[in-house]
Amino acid sequence: MKRLAGLSPLARFVLAVLAWLPVTFVVWYFAAPIILWPATLLSELVTRVGFGDLVRAVDQHAAVVAFTTSLKPGQAIAGAVVTVEVNALLYSFGLPMFAALTLAAREPHWPRALAIGYVALLPAIAWGVVADFLKNVGITAPPQVVSQTGFTAVQREFIAFAFQFGSLILPAVAPAIAWVLTHRSFLERVRRAA
Amino acid sequence: MIRFFVVFLVLLALLFGLELTPWVQRWAVEPWTMALARISAWLVTLFDSGVTATGKVIASTANGFAVSIEAGCNGVEATIVLVAAMLAFPAPWKHKLVGLAAGFVAVQALNVVRVISLFYLGQWNRDAFEWAHLYVWQALIMLDVLIVWLLWVRTLPPGRGDTGTGPPPTGAPAAA
Repeated sequence: MKRLAGLSPLARFVLAVLAWLPVTFVVWYFAAPIILWPATLLSELVTRVGFGDLVRAVDQHAAVVAFTTSLKPGQAIAGAVVTVEVNALLYSFGLPMFAALTLAAREPHWPRALAIGYVALLPAIAWGVVADFLKNVGITAPPQVVSQTGFTAVQREFIAFAFQFGSLILPAVAPAIAWVLTHRSFLERVRRAA
Repeated sequence: MIRFFVVFLVLLALLFGLELTPWVQRWAVEPWTMALARISAWLVTLFDSGVTATGKVIASTANGFAVSIEAGCNGVEATIVLVAAMLAFPAPWKHKLVGLAAGFVAVQALNVVRVISLFYLGQWNRDAFEWAHLYVWQALIMLDVLIVWLLWVRTLPPGRGDTGTGPPPTGAPAAA
C-alpha cells in the first residue's frame, strides 16, 4: 500500500482502472439483456421513423437485436421475410470502459456520473446497431434483397461510412468523451499534480 | 472545452473519412498493416521460430493457425483519435508534434502486444480470442489513447491545456 501511495495520481488512477475493468466487463456481459434494452428501444424508434417501410418488428434476445424486415429473401421461398440479427455487445463495450474509468476516479458524485454516462452512450450503441442492420440489408445482402431496399449509391456510401464509424470509432471514443466531460475537475487535479 | 470537443469531432470525422479513401488505404493503411504483421512476426520469432508473416497475415507453421490484421486491429483508428485529440487541444505546435510522435509509438507498441496476444489466444481458446478481440482489447487500446493524452496534457506549459474548470489561461490564445 505504501508503494501505491508513492505513485502519482495518474498512475494510481490507471491501476484502479485496470482493477475495475474485469469487474465491469463481467457485470456488463451478464446484465447486457437489461442494460441494452433502452438501446434496443432507441434502435427500434430510429428504424421505424427512418425506415418504416423496411422494418416490421425489432426484438431483443439476450444481447442480440433482431430486425424483422418486409424484404423478401427470394422468389423460391414464398411468404418468407428477411431477418437481420445484430450483436449489440459489439457496440456497447464502451459501457464497462466508462464504468471502470468512473469508478477508478472516485469522484464524490460517481453514481450520477455513471447514470449520465449510461444515458449518453445509448445513442452511440443504437448508432452501431442501426448502421449494422442497414449495412446488412443495403450492402452485404444478396442483390435481390439489396434491390428491394431502394437505397441509392450515395445512400449506400453513407451507410458504409456510418457503419465503419459506428463500429471502429464510436464504441471506443464515445465513453472516453463522456468520461472527460463528466470528470473535468478530476482531470484538472491530475494535470495540476504534475 | 466545448470548442475542443467540436474541433476534435470535426477532425476525427475528417481523418477517418480520409482513412477510408482508396488512395489512403492503398498507400498508407495497407503498407502499414503489412509492416505491423512483419514487426509482430519478427518479435514472435525471438522466442517462437514457427511463425511467418505473409502480407497482413501472421501464421503458425506448427499448427496452421493464422490471424489476419484487419481494420480496427491495425491501430490506425486509435492513432487517428489521438491525432485529433492532440491537434484539437490548445497547445504549442512543438508540444503537439512531440506528443504525436510519442503517442504514435505508445499506441502502436501496445497494438503489437494486442496482435501477438491474440495470435496466441486464438491457438489456445477460440472463445477467449473472440472476447479479447471484440471487446477487451478495443477498450484497452482506447484506454491507452486516453492515458497518453492525459500524460501529454500534463506536460503542457502553464496556462495551456486548461480543461475548463481552473483559472483562465494567461498566455496568448493557442493555435489549435
